[in-house]
Amino acid sequence: MFYRRAGIRHTRYEDERQLFPLTFDRVLIIAILVLLLSAPFWVERLYLVGYMVPWLIWSGAALGLNLLMGGAGQIHLGYGAVIGIGAYTSVHLVRFGVPLELAMIAGGLMSALIGSIFGAAALRVKGIYLAMATLAMQYIVDFFTQTKIISGGSLATLQVPPVSFLGISLKGDVATYYFCFGVTFLIALYMLNIRRTSFGRALAAVREKDYAAQILGVSTYRYKLLAFWVSSFIGGVVGSVLAVAYLRAISPDQFHLELSVQLLAMVIVGGLGSVLGPFLGAALILFAPIVLNNALGAAASAFGTDIPIDLRAHMPLLAYGLMIVLFLLYEPLGLAKIYDNFRKYLLVWPFRHAQK
Amino acid sequence: MNDFAALVPQRLVWDKAEDGAPASLVAALARNAAEYPDRIAFRERVYGIWQEQSWREVLGEILAIAAGLERHGLVPGMALTVIGDNRPRLYYAMLAAGMLRAFPSPVFPDVPPDELKVYTENGAPDVAIAEDQEQVDKLLELRARIGRPKTIVYDDPRGLGLYTETGVMSFDALIADGIARLKDDPGLAADLLSRAKADDIVVLLHSSGTTGKPKGIPLRQRNVARGVVNAQKSGYFALHEELFAYLPTAWVGDFVFTVGAGLMMVATINIPERQETALHDLREAAPTFYLAAPRAWDQMLTRIQVGMQNATPLKRKLYEWFMPRAIELEKKRLAHQPISLGDRITEIAGDVFVRAPLRDWLGLSRAQRVFTGGEALGEDTFLFFRALGINLKQFYGQTETCALTAAQPDDRVKLHTVGRPMVGVEMKLDDNGEILIKSPSVVDGYYDDPEGSAKAIVDGWLHTGDAGQIDADGDLVVLGRVSEVVRTASGERFIPGFIENRIKFSPYVRNVAVFGAGRDELTAIVCIDFDAVGNWAEDRRISYTSYADLSQKPEVADLIASVLAHVNVLQPPSLAIRRFVNLHKDFDADDGEITRTRKLRRNTIEDHYATLIAALYSGVREIDFDARITYETGEVGTIRRRLIINEVAR
Repeated sequence: MFYRRAGIRHTRYEDERQLFPLTFDRVLIIAILVLLLSAPFWVERLYLVGYMVPWLIWSGAALGLNLLMGGAGQIHLGYGAVIGIGAYTSVHLVRFGVPLELAMIAGGLMSALIGSIFGAAALRVKGIYLAMATLAMQYIVDFFTQTKIISGGSLATLQVPPVSFLGISLKGDVATYYFCFGVTFLIALYMLNIRRTSFGRALAAVREKDYAAQILGVSTYRYKLLAFWVSSFIGGVVGSVLAVAYLRAISPDQFHLELSVQLLAMVIVGGLGSVLGPFLGAALILFAPIVLNNALGAAASAFGTDIPIDLRAHMPLLAYGLMIVLFLLYEPLGLAKIYDNFRKYLLVWPFRHAQK
Repeated sequence: MNDFAALVPQRLVWDKAEDGAPASLVAALARNAAEYPDRIAFRERVYGIWQEQSWREVLGEILAIAAGLERHGLVPGMALTVIGDNRPRLYYAMLAAGMLRAFPSPVFPDVPPDELKVYTENGAPDVAIAEDQEQVDKLLELRARIGRPKTIVYDDPRGLGLYTETGVMSFDALIADGIARLKDDPGLAADLLSRAKADDIVVLLHSSGTTGKPKGIPLRQRNVARGVVNAQKSGYFALHEELFAYLPTAWVGDFVFTVGAGLMMVATINIPERQETALHDLREAAPTFYLAAPRAWDQMLTRIQVGMQNATPLKRKLYEWFMPRAIELEKKRLAHQPISLGDRITEIAGDVFVRAPLRDWLGLSRAQRVFTGGEALGEDTFLFFRALGINLKQFYGQTETCALTAAQPDDRVKLHTVGRPMVGVEMKLDDNGEILIKSPSVVDGYYDDPEGSAKAIVDGWLHTGDAGQIDADGDLVVLGRVSEVVRTASGERFIPGFIENRIKFSPYVRNVAVFGAGRDELTAIVCIDFDAVGNWAEDRRISYTSYADLSQKPEVADLIASVLAHVNVLQPPSLAIRRFVNLHKDFDADDGEITRTRKLRRNTIEDHYATLIAALYSGVREIDFDARITYETGEVGTIRRRLIINEVAR
């Protein structure tokens, strides 16, 4: 209904490959970017720090995991550990006085290095066996982070000193928000563009059938490792952002299996292989429990029913689980696919499908 | 790639008319290259992307082609056969011929080899331009028969690599020869530009031959140049239009509205990738000026209607709610009735939900000057597109007047009229009601046919053969061909074409012929629209195997009967259609039943289907009919079909 395609023509093949050829898509994206950039001016501080910042960080992490899962078709159950490696590496470096910019990259490199070592298992095993191999990584890394030399012990907390990024102190909420926004924006931009590069197409070939890709001349050895390397690097960078901009004090239990599963859920519910998906998935997984809890509380007090306190604590989780199951039943390709269906409904308006 | 821009002389001069406009199309080309050297002139879609050429490059390429054509035997006064779909180099060759004082003679690309001879008699063309292998083969066959053309230049080399026939050459080779000549002789380019005169023939077209052999109609440079300028003064063209070149090159509409207006108005001419992709490419080109024959408008309407029948419930309901209201509103507008606030609100909402998306889908959202012409357009089709927000207007013209005679100004759009004469056009009706025209765009006479010319053009007045009348507001109403007016046995006057157009508004009817001259009542032969009726049948789980099978289904007969009954309501009772037969095939140009421009050839149909027409009036329920079929190879065969004769409820 809102999409206009008359008069869109290309004089070069490069133009035909542009990300958003339709005006309406561009307007929509610019509108969303303006809303996000102006958020500090119209969103309350509490919501900015408590909702927007974690949403951006988790979206960034989910984007990194989605490159591996949706892009290259490799499963990863230890992404929380990857983030943990990045977080601990950069925090230690920052504590030694290394500038944050370098510490972030170092965190990313360390994650990429260790992540790729475990990712090498993907060269030999697939599917459920790869899931076990990456799960093993989660536990091995958990074991090491609990050592004194890295975290100071399983219950110890490591404080992040005051840091600044490109000369701007990350003490304030607004600066922190823009810092997170910038990092996630760059990751999203990278993900949008990777699909039109030879790297992105090679990953897609590996995802569809790895030995078919090998026959076509795409080195599965090289691209599986590269996928783990790039994805883990992004995880490490996001880990350092998580540590310095949101947690500000890190302890080993923050990077356990729970985080991995949470990110896995974001990617699957959001939509495998989509760039929009991780944003929608992160929003749903992070905020649905809170919204459901509040709604249930409001409903309980409005109707005056006396719900036992333990049931009240568990009901949102039940509803949350049910919601995910229903989403996946209705649309296995996730929230991004639901959006895509709606977009196509409008795109071919007023017809049912594209007309010849 | 050749650097064509470098071939253009530094100093360009061109002939001007009294008002400063270029006097010929060659002069217009020089003006465009001098004043708008970098403006995009031609844009052709090749493998999905649009290749652009500026006016300076275009002039350079045309100069090279002209130099090449001259070397290969094109001399002043000779015709140049051009056969193929719309391609830039075919257009360039037409203009190059004009530079050499020769003239192009475009031929419809689907003309079979037998008919080709008729179209290549005038002007004795010794050089031919062909689009592809198919056309080269036809021309070679022609050469084997009559010894012409000696040189055949082709645009698309696919399949032609192993041809060893003498005189068959590629455009690239022709252009290379031309460039070599231009480089050897630095004065040649300026010389080529200075030769054309306003009195030269710019193109030789042929009448459609609704009755008999096609006549050669030579348009002169000044006819087209002045005609376009006069149309611009009347407001029907604007500077820098975006044009869409998809009409058959042998139709006057394409030469005048694409080439003529394109050059004179410094427009950008968009050329679709192929005929089959024209509708898709139209959306990418989004022209500002668009001309289509009534046939094409009917087809567009059918596509929309079929698409909306398949649409999801919400979309279909919105369409069914807003479109009838938009049509009612348009009727009010045309009748200059007051429009209420509620109407306006409905219109804006309808624009958001239905009209703007449909305009965008058609590719006509930017089109400001949209015309239909050539024959009468069904009122309902006309109203539908106007209601859609497309400023569709009727124009009226003949090949003999460069198709630029009359058109509807913005404030004088009416259902029945074709508007007013353009600036510079004088018009009057003679005693028989025949329309007579005098204007700078009227040709001097037919090619090599002084007898026919003297009959058609008397004292400078062109006798159009159309019956017309002037309505109360002074607008011209075209009733039909003077020769087409017929009477029933009871003496009632009617024009079959007028009734046929009304019937053809139904998406289910593709072609129809109405009979009744000298009879008591009217009957019709109907050719169903295979797509629309097929879709309709699928929705009702009616199985069918072919066009012939589908056409004889009793349900389809009922469907067509209801269409005819609807038209009968609008007719006087004595002119209602009483019986019809669904034909087992569509009328076909290869069988001679319609012309290449899809006009009915009534005589041929009455001849082919004489037994069928007799049966329509004899009262039998069905008939075994021996149908004659002409295959594309030219062979003739017959096929026996049992056809059912249906009654229309009174």
